[in-house]
Amino acid sequence: MGFGRPLGRGLLIVALALYTAFAASPFVWVFVLSLRTTTEIYADPYGLPLPPHFGKFADAWLGSSYDVYFMNSVAVVFSAVAIVTVVGAMAAHCLARYQFRGNRALYFLIFSTLIFPPQVTIIALFQILIEYQLFDTRIGLILVYVSLQLPITVYILESFFRRVPSDLFDAARIDGYSEVVIFWRISLPVAWPAISTTIIVNTILLWNEFLFAIVLISSDSKRTLPIGILKFMGDQSNDVGMVATGLMIAIVPVVAIYVFFSEKLIQGMTAGAVK
Amino acid sequence: MTGGSVASSPAVATSGVAAGPIGLRAWLRLSDQPFGAILGFLLPALLFYLAFTVYPVLLTIYDSIFRVLPNRPATYVGLANYTAVLTTDPTFWQAVRNTIIWASVGPVTEISIALLLALALYAKIPGMRFFRIAWFTPVLMSYVVVGIIWMWIYNYDWGAANTLLRFLGLGQLVRSWLGDPSTALPSLILVTTWMWTGFNMVVLLAAFHSLPAEVLEAAELDHCGWMGKLWFVMIPMVQPTILNLAILSFVGKMKVFDLVWVTTRGGPLWSTETVSTYVYRRAFDWNTFDLGYPSAIACIWFVIVLAGVLVLSRIFRRHQQLEF
Repeated sequence: MGFGRPLGRGLLIVALALYTAFAASPFVWVFVLSLRTTTEIYADPYGLPLPPHFGKFADAWLGSSYDVYFMNSVAVVFSAVAIVTVVGAMAAHCLARYQFRGNRALYFLIFSTLIFPPQVTIIALFQILIEYQLFDTRIGLILVYVSLQLPITVYILESFFRRVPSDLFDAARIDGYSEVVIFWRISLPVAWPAISTTIIVNTILLWNEFLFAIVLISSDSKRTLPIGILKFMGDQSNDVGMVATGLMIAIVPVVAIYVFFSEKLIQGMTAGAVK
Repeated sequence: MTGGSVASSPAVATSGVAAGPIGLRAWLRLSDQPFGAILGFLLPALLFYLAFTVYPVLLTIYDSIFRVLPNRPATYVGLANYTAVLTTDPTFWQAVRNTIIWASVGPVTEISIALLLALALYAKIPGMRFFRIAWFTPVLMSYVVVGIIWMWIYNYDWGAANTLLRFLGLGQLVRSWLGDPSTALPSLILVTTWMWTGFNMVVLLAAFHSLPAEVLEAAELDHCGWMGKLWFVMIPMVQPTILNLAILSFVGKMKVFDLVWVTTRGGPLWSTETVSTYVYRRAFDWNTFDLGYPSAIACIWFVIVLAGVLVLSRIFRRHQQLEF
């Protein structure tokens, strides 16, 4: 390879390091800010967190409704992910395993919603949820989130189920297992790698979801974290140190998931883009 | 069921072994497949799809030819909303302009930088795993988090951008990046580029690694240099991946809402207004509360996005034919 020479290689590493600094430094900065008070920050925006004020995390958590936003996000995201995983796996299993007319058309229809701009559903969803008393409820948001993540879930799982050899299912069928038992006892365990990928990806994407939450939730006690942060930011926009602490509380769960499941997460997020 | 799995002749469908209307079974060409199980597995997903995707889309189209005010019956206005959007709404056109700029600049910068980075990593640089993981991080963050961080970076007094410029002795370039109509949109485009380049890079790297080694070796045997190998062999071979990334990035930018809403709310002077923020503003943030008009914008935009995706795949496909 042409980059074998030490000079070229050195330049390459410098370029990569520079880009890495560009990609990562904003997060490092916020982390540092989150441990400093606003007075310290205004005195020197790029100083080190000495001494670190860990107590700010407790203040942010208790002093505003941050705990409420956080728990709302946890409740909404976990419920939506649980439902979409089961519903999506059933549909994907069915589309991959049984041949019937309209199978591909249905798959394409569900898949094509991935490119829909959200505006084309959001105004109507606002009206529909109001009509069925689901507006400004966590249940309404959960249902919308399920439908939002359904296409990508079906897409990832369908392509996995398709690769499972059908001999496995035929053998089970001959042994007299019912279709439901085959799904539950064979499909789900075999597809666990793919299913866990969709769980992780859906959790991250919904944890960050903003547009539908801001339209479909109006009362403060039901806000999820992203719209809660914005409210928090609006209330204390001058308290940079506190807002930074708030941001870190939202970042930490994502980083924690990423640390443990980085390969799975990358795989899932990039699924479909590699051809 | 046991008999069905052996024979696959159409006669099985009419034998009435399993439940389900015979006509429907025949139409679906189910032969030996269990109708009840298929329906049961698909039904929940179908219900979600119908209730929260198909019905809202149809309702949006229906709304777009009405004037929809709260607590009042909707009044039919025909195509008036569409003509108003297309002929007498300068803000809409400004939003279209901004969004199209974003959706054309975004994919090009992201994918070209990502290509360079992926090639650098493909040259077997040490620490590849670390780089890959570090570069992918921004895309995992919420736009709210990213937006607030970048508002600070662009802050006039103590933001990192101006601090760096002052440090480099380029003090005359210091400005309020998001407060100046001429720099606000490019500044936000830089944020999405920062966010998505790593994602594109990881995908391209995976594509490079899946290239068949024989082809690359053949190119080397033909005395194909590094650049030649890159330009004539590697990039054409990952072209389907590049197309996918371009479409993904294009569609993402055509939808962009969160980042703008968190940072500039479309300002200053509509210089960062996108179609998404404008629809939101007209539907939920204005005191007119007419949902018909923004529905018409949404429908127009849907058609434009669809057309854009089709054109993109057409261009790439023709290009590909020329390559081979």
